[in-house]
Amino acid sequence: MANVEYRSVGKNFGTVRVLNELSLDIGEGEFVVLLGSSGCGKSTLLRMTAGLETISSGEIAIDGKVVNGVHPRDRNIAMVFQNYALYPTMKVRENIAFSLEVAGKSRDEVNAKVEEAARVLSLTDYLDRKPSELSGGQRQRVAMGRAMVRDAKVFLFDEPLSNLDAKLRAHMRVEIRQLHDRLKATTIYVTHDQIEAMTMADKIVLMQGGGIVQVGTPDDLYDRPATRYVAEFIGSPQINCQEGEIVSDGADVHFKNSEVSLPLPAGYAAHGGTKVTCGIRPNDVQLSEEGAIVGRLKIAEKTGADKQMHLDVNGSEFVAVTPRSTEGVPGDDMRFAVDPGKVHIFDQSSGHRITTTLSGA
Amino acid sequence: MMVRSKSSRVLRSVVAWGTVLLFAFPLYYWLTVAFKDGKEIFNYPPQVWSFSPTVRNFEEIFGISLGFGFGEQREVLPGGGNWRMAPRLWDSIVIAVLSTGIAVSIATLASYALSRMEFAGRHHFVSWVLSTRMMPPVAVAIPVFFIYKELSLLDTYTGVILIHALMNLPLAVLLMKSFFDDIPHEIDESGMIDGASRFLIFRRIILPMVKGGAAATAVLCFIFSWTEFLFVLTLTQTGLKTVPVVSSTFVTSTGTAWGNMAALGAAAMLPAFLFILLVQKHLVRGLTLGSVKQ
Repeated sequence: MANVEYRSVGKNFGTVRVLNELSLDIGEGEFVVLLGSSGCGKSTLLRMTAGLETISSGEIAIDGKVVNGVHPRDRNIAMVFQNYALYPTMKVRENIAFSLEVAGKSRDEVNAKVEEAARVLSLTDYLDRKPSELSGGQRQRVAMGRAMVRDAKVFLFDEPLSNLDAKLRAHMRVEIRQLHDRLKATTIYVTHDQIEAMTMADKIVLMQGGGIVQVGTPDDLYDRPATRYVAEFIGSPQINCQEGEIVSDGADVHFKNSEVSLPLPAGYAAHGGTKVTCGIRPNDVQLSEEGAIVGRLKIAEKTGADKQMHLDVNGSEFVAVTPRSTEGVPGDDMRFAVDPGKVHIFDQSSGHRITTTLSGA
Repeated sequence: MMVRSKSSRVLRSVVAWGTVLLFAFPLYYWLTVAFKDGKEIFNYPPQVWSFSPTVRNFEEIFGISLGFGFGEQREVLPGGGNWRMAPRLWDSIVIAVLSTGIAVSIATLASYALSRMEFAGRHHFVSWVLSTRMMPPVAVAIPVFFIYKELSLLDTYTGVILIHALMNLPLAVLLMKSFFDDIPHEIDESGMIDGASRFLIFRRIILPMVKGGAAATAVLCFIFSWTEFLFVLTLTQTGLKTVPVVSSTFVTSTGTAWGNMAALGAAAMLPAFLFILLVQKHLVRGLTLGSVKQ
């Protein structure tokens, strides 16, 4: 177990800057997810941690030791690749044992560790098969087994679940998290899937354009997104955004546009007149006769547990999650209310969250 | 899958078999010539199916008796000589096998480096390697002759093996590089993280994955060396000769020994055929390699 520190880390590919002066601390035993859309630099950062990419500027330290010039094999890390990168000519047993054999461990020790890893990952029956004879999920587990037997200081995962089907992915999420809880190894996990990030992470690092936008617990990012980008990235269905401005009328503060007039906490009074984006999560609205949000129903999607109402509000798409019993046919007008405390307000020009002067929420 | 009508299926078989026969017939006719008597070869119209087979042509070129009655030369051969071709066949085998081995070994190492390692001029290197094949071989043969003369490599196995390996190298490097390029870099990286050195990764992980590719490359190199004419002709005198060169000696001022030439050709196909049969197992594995890769 070790901590990982990034100190003003930068990366250029030729003249293209892909990582920009990035600083981050990852504590011992933490499960950190690097989250972002493709091209945001998250995989590059992970590969730099592993030593597979050079560091253009700044420092990366593992366990307090700067590793900039250290070869991947000397960093004592384990990594699971997106395409698993199993050795196709070796059996599962040899795949898992390879790093131990290279390290010159005794045959007994190698066997014991391989058997133990196989037992934990339910691979015992497949030890003598070749990777080509395994399903996607089993290959994924072999890749994890290979990392497990290492006693590595840091575990790196590079989108390990993206090649699996949805059901298996949900299952493997749980397995990986359980594995982390058992091994308590520092883990850095790269994904573009916000659900993986929300369900697995102790800490999410949301990246955009080669920099960090927000670092925090899944709840932090969901409840207090620092920017509109974060708000839109986290949460499913995606947050609804309405453009408008804050209108302050003494004690009454409202978010207003041509069709919506939404009461806001009094703390926003200081921002009267500011052009803002108002974010409302689909799960935070309730059907209400007096609701401030009026929309025309375009389509009602049944998801089983509930219904997702797709509405047209002021010319933009608005999704509301309602109980499954909710009636509604396309063309109906529906009204929704929202708790003022659950509304997210972002500055229209900068995209940054505007906090109330009172609560700081 | 698309449902095809019966007539289209029949048509497909007919075309397929027609193509096969088109390629196989000259080979068959060549073989019949090898088993025909001197006069029968020249019969008109040619006897394609019915003739009285004889092994005399083989007996003559190998200087042996197969026990069918013709122990010694029955008539004067064109050119007046008796050819003993078994040593020439052996020369061909030694040269083809060793030059193939050298070419494939060097090409494997070189193309792994070209595929994986970053060094200045890496991208130009490939076209540079290929450019060595752009010159007509005959333009190279004469200078090589003089160089070999200085180095005392004329008329030696080493000399011919080297030049054949050299001629094969560019193509072998290019071919092998494409096989290495097909292997995802993550596999190397995974090996690195597992603590293995570059050479260990190459030997234990990557090399077994390109076995099929190496086999395919070896087949091509072998066939090139087996059929190469110009360099063997210019760089050898009496010490050794390969089959293509000696078969030209059947064309003499007093006539062409078609039967003997065909017999030698038939005999020369056998080792090449055996070699390909041996590596074929790996060839098939090479073709299925893609499905193993994640």
